[in-house]
Amino acid sequence: MSAPVLNYRTRGWLRMSVEKQDTLLKMAVLSLAAILSFSCRLFSVLRFESVIHEFDPYFNYRTTKFLAEEGFYNFHNWFDDRAWYPLGRIIGGTIYPGLMVTSAAIYHILNLVNITIDVRNVCVFLAPLFSSLTTLVTYHLAKELKGPGAGLVAAVMIAIVPGYISRSVAGSYDNEGIAIFCMLLTYYMWIKAVKTGTLFWSTMASLAYFYMVSSWGGYVFLINIIPLHVLTLMITGRFSHRVYVAYSTLYVIGTILSMQISFVGFQPVSTSEHMGAFGVFGLCQIHAFVDYVRSRLNKIQFEVLFRAVISTVAVTGILVLVVLTAMGKIAPWTGRFYSLLDPSYAKNNIPIIASVSEHQPTAWSSFYFDLQMLTFMFPVGLYFCFTKLTDENIFIILYGVLSIYFAGVMVRLMLVLAPVMCILSGIAVSSMLSTYMKQIDDVKTEKKKAKFEGNYFMRSEIATFFVCVMSVFLVMYTLHCTWVTSEAYSSPSIVLSARGHDGSRIIFDDFREAYYWLRHNTPEDAKVMSWWDYGYQITAMANRTILVDNNTWNNTHISRVGQAMASTEDKAYEIMRELDVDYVLVIFGGLTGYSSDDINKFLWMVRIGGSTEKGGHIKEHDYYTPAGEFRVDKEGSPTLLNCLMYKMCYYRFGQVYTEGG
Amino acid sequence: MEVIVKVLVTLLVVAAGAAAATYDSINRDVINKKVDRKLDISSQLLKITNKITLENGGSGAVRSFLLAFTRQEKENLSYLNAQSGGTVLKFGEARVQEHRDIEFYKVELKDALQPGKTVNVEVEIIMTQLLEPYPATIQQGEKQLVRYAGNHYVLSPYTTTTQTTTVTLPSPNIESYSRLKPTTHTDTSITYGPYDGVAGFSEDPMNIHFENNSPFLAVTKLERVIEVSHWGNIAVEETIDVLHIGAKLKGPFSRYDYQREHNSYSSIKSFKTIMPASAKDVYYRDEIGNISTSHMRVQDDAVELDLRPRFPLFGGWKTHYKIGYNVPSYEYLYSSGDHYILKMRILDHVFDDFAVDELVVKIILPEGVRNIVLETPYPVERLPDTLHFTYLDTVGRPVVSVTKRNLVESHIQDFTLHYQFPSILMLQEPLLVVIAFFILFITVIIYVRLDLTLSKDDATEAKMRVSSYCEQVHTHHDKRARLYEKLEEELQKLKSSKDVAQSQTATKKIQATIRDETQAIADIGAKIRADSAEYAEKVLELQKLDKILRDSVLQQLTNVEKLVAGKMSKQQYMDADAPLHKKKEEALEKIKSILGNI
Repeated sequence: MSAPVLNYRTRGWLRMSVEKQDTLLKMAVLSLAAILSFSCRLFSVLRFESVIHEFDPYFNYRTTKFLAEEGFYNFHNWFDDRAWYPLGRIIGGTIYPGLMVTSAAIYHILNLVNITIDVRNVCVFLAPLFSSLTTLVTYHLAKELKGPGAGLVAAVMIAIVPGYISRSVAGSYDNEGIAIFCMLLTYYMWIKAVKTGTLFWSTMASLAYFYMVSSWGGYVFLINIIPLHVLTLMITGRFSHRVYVAYSTLYVIGTILSMQISFVGFQPVSTSEHMGAFGVFGLCQIHAFVDYVRSRLNKIQFEVLFRAVISTVAVTGILVLVVLTAMGKIAPWTGRFYSLLDPSYAKNNIPIIASVSEHQPTAWSSFYFDLQMLTFMFPVGLYFCFTKLTDENIFIILYGVLSIYFAGVMVRLMLVLAPVMCILSGIAVSSMLSTYMKQIDDVKTEKKKAKFEGNYFMRSEIATFFVCVMSVFLVMYTLHCTWVTSEAYSSPSIVLSARGHDGSRIIFDDFREAYYWLRHNTPEDAKVMSWWDYGYQITAMANRTILVDNNTWNNTHISRVGQAMASTEDKAYEIMRELDVDYVLVIFGGLTGYSSDDINKFLWMVRIGGSTEKGGHIKEHDYYTPAGEFRVDKEGSPTLLNCLMYKMCYYRFGQVYTEGG
Repeated sequence: MEVIVKVLVTLLVVAAGAAAATYDSINRDVINKKVDRKLDISSQLLKITNKITLENGGSGAVRSFLLAFTRQEKENLSYLNAQSGGTVLKFGEARVQEHRDIEFYKVELKDALQPGKTVNVEVEIIMTQLLEPYPATIQQGEKQLVRYAGNHYVLSPYTTTTQTTTVTLPSPNIESYSRLKPTTHTDTSITYGPYDGVAGFSEDPMNIHFENNSPFLAVTKLERVIEVSHWGNIAVEETIDVLHIGAKLKGPFSRYDYQREHNSYSSIKSFKTIMPASAKDVYYRDEIGNISTSHMRVQDDAVELDLRPRFPLFGGWKTHYKIGYNVPSYEYLYSSGDHYILKMRILDHVFDDFAVDELVVKIILPEGVRNIVLETPYPVERLPDTLHFTYLDTVGRPVVSVTKRNLVESHIQDFTLHYQFPSILMLQEPLLVVIAFFILFITVIIYVRLDLTLSKDDATEAKMRVSSYCEQVHTHHDKRARLYEKLEEELQKLKSSKDVAQSQTATKKIQATIRDETQAIADIGAKIRADSAEYAEKVLELQKLDKILRDSVLQQLTNVEKLVAGKMSKQQYMDADAPLHKKKEEALEKIKSILGNI
């Protein structure tokens, strides 16, 4: 008989206003994304150990250790006699110190509060830490572009995108690990500066730019894309005082700051790569001046003046540029940038650049492998940006289009593409979801309205279906990313593992065995000759002097080593005496089936060896059989079978029984 | 101050010199009636066991006797122990004026030896690096030969009536050995003697050149760090440098031969380290990372670790590694009140028949430890105490360090460390964490509430004010909602108790409070109007709906009262109640949607 008791309470246990709930939700999603991006990079640490990966990170680790122990001034003045014997290398002036300074600072701060973590662990976990920060910056960047929803989706996407993970797993202690963070931070600050037109944000942008310059050579991309953005704004007639303030401040402060990095030095005012930025800076001033003049003159007067000035300026500008380039004041574009514009340039001209696998053009499959659904969402995101064209959307469109071109040219630039893919896909996914989610919401409250708006057939059902499909896509993306990270990007490459016959794990630790033997059982001043790939690892792990390393700055010297490897034993002996070599290190994978050994790289040694004057007698075709094959069995070419590398690798190999018999 | 120290040091030196200058004399009354010497040269160590039967041939009681060593033996002497009938005898260094070239140890007998009586003494001696690889360099496939140069007679200051020496060898392969009749050679042993009536200090060179492929591996430096935590854990870490001190490798090392032919006799592929049974979280690494080639076997009384260096060790090769583990503290740390005793091994097993050139033990105690007293089973050199800083430390943890040279397996003995630790200090670390988080949160709270802008932003401020007002509206409405619930309860109660008077007094009170809350919300609504008309409208709307809700509830109440008083039939009541309930429901729904938006 009694009526059911009503629930008067309007709020649950979370006694919060809508805004607070909103903040809480955002914070929760963001922190989870940041934690996720950190933890999914730890596969290799859990599977193997907390160890530095690959090649370049070993150099970075060694220099960081030096910096942490010896202080910044000693680091700055460091002449490294362990590398490039007998030339040596001035480390302080030939590296981007941002990475080392960051880790050393973290190390010192932590030790100051008695958190006694060693330099190696700081180095190993730096990249995951910075990818967490990247997640946060991506959120803010996408929020500026589209809104918090897009920001959250983009943040979650970048947390696990394989294209970025490939370079930032724990132990992959390389410049790119922090550079992506710096890059996105600069973009965020730049967009803020363009939006607000304040000196504060512009200065922040230049500081972020400075950090970027100090950490990666890829800053050149940044100093070209921002002027390009400004230029596009000018052409589309969107140039305003905001853009003027933002760019003028960024260019002036950013350039002065970037010149403080000794490796960069006077490049920002002397090389062609930076000329675009300078030109746009000039244009900015002219444009602003023209705007000012226009506001003071009538139309006809202005037209005359404008044409006269434009033609004179253009002619003199081009003349000056030509003269300066001819006089060598402006350095011509370096090889790597030519190969960016013309993918075949490097292969034809500089074998050392072409020999690096990460400088190869990207295969189609690797786009899908590294980005999965982002590849398809990217154009959708572009579409949404075009539908509502703003200053900042133009920027992200430019960034997206340019980076997709560069990523196609060089595999390693996939890294630059991944963030913009995430941002654009974030915009796409969030725009579509919010559109369709609204349709679902309508069902309950506005059923009556639906009758009048009968144009949409079964609209809530379709909307529900669409949201489900989208969720499936997102789940697939997550699964794919986790799988790729775990399978492809989480092996330290210094330790190899394989499955035994009984399913147990076999670990090949031969690299470290060799390096450790060198470290403890050779004289302190022994010189080790090896192909340049192993240079950084030998100096870091074996602590011995090497002839060439991964900083391939002297082609002649590398070529000399290539010649020694490719020559007959007596010729090689002469070269090695000349270079003062005590030990020769070769990696041979024939026994264990390790494919990227020195025989695999041997043709590059021949090519690079033969590319200089002294190696004129080394010709690539001598190392092929008459039929044009590269064979290492008894039918191989005699030149190959008698060269030092072959003899060292296959010494008594005929007596060994391998799995293949 | 410095002067005083210098004076003190000088005094000490003088005193020490004076002590050393006192010479012992050889007691001619003592006779070695029988000496049975066992020389074990089957490993890299030289282990000597002398069973001596001493006789007092004089007339006075004998309290001590001397043991003699050559200078080289003394330098390589690692361990010396003398015991008689199960009790360990005390001994100390001694000198004899007439025999400056010979080093002596003076052993105190337990009981004075009376004239004509005999006593059995067993002396155990371990010496290192007395076996010389000969030839000094060998190729990979060759066997390692070593040479031992000693004395056919037991070096003793006393006349020996009869003595025999048995030499134990690692294998039957002997290149050559010196002969002093009677000498017998069986499979893996050579027996010299018995020799009768040997005068004191007799020497006759003994040479044995034999095959010894046992590992000649010296630990050149061992640093053992014991970190004690009062939270239940003791972490032990040993940093070890090992060097193969056997015959050096001549010529190249062939991995192929090494893998296929197993002919590298003297090289060391792996060795076993035994750790305490409770050891867990064991690691084995070096400067460049984890060494993946090791196996661990947990046994009842120990954890056995099969360590394989990164590369096989040949003569002259060295390596360096770290090994570490945790043990629970209850096995080693005893306490009574504030007094603690740590009882652990100074040195632990490295591998069988090991010899350590230099040992450094560092014991890191918790912060705040005082009155440290260290007792060691044999003399060690105590290094100055230092401080160690690690997680959550403020003043640093005291570190007790000791060092000693030339140790062998027999030195695996316990040290005892006494110290005081006020248990209140256990709270220090958790408190530090709490304070750190507290400061962090406070900073965030202050930062969020801090307004650092120079110019006032009215729009934002108005927005913030409105949101704070809305928060108040929510609070008041929550109170009101609870009051409505109470009202409903009263209504139900009335239905069952039918006590109108009591119900009326109760509901009056509730109604008054509801009015107060409603008034409060209305006041806030007026305030909101100053900043945002939109929100003020919403509050008004809320108030209107609330009025409907309240009226319906009150109407229901009146109806029930009528029903109870019999002024209304049940059917009438039911008919009146249903639309009221519906009204209430609708009003509530709308209230919820409004409150969801502000």
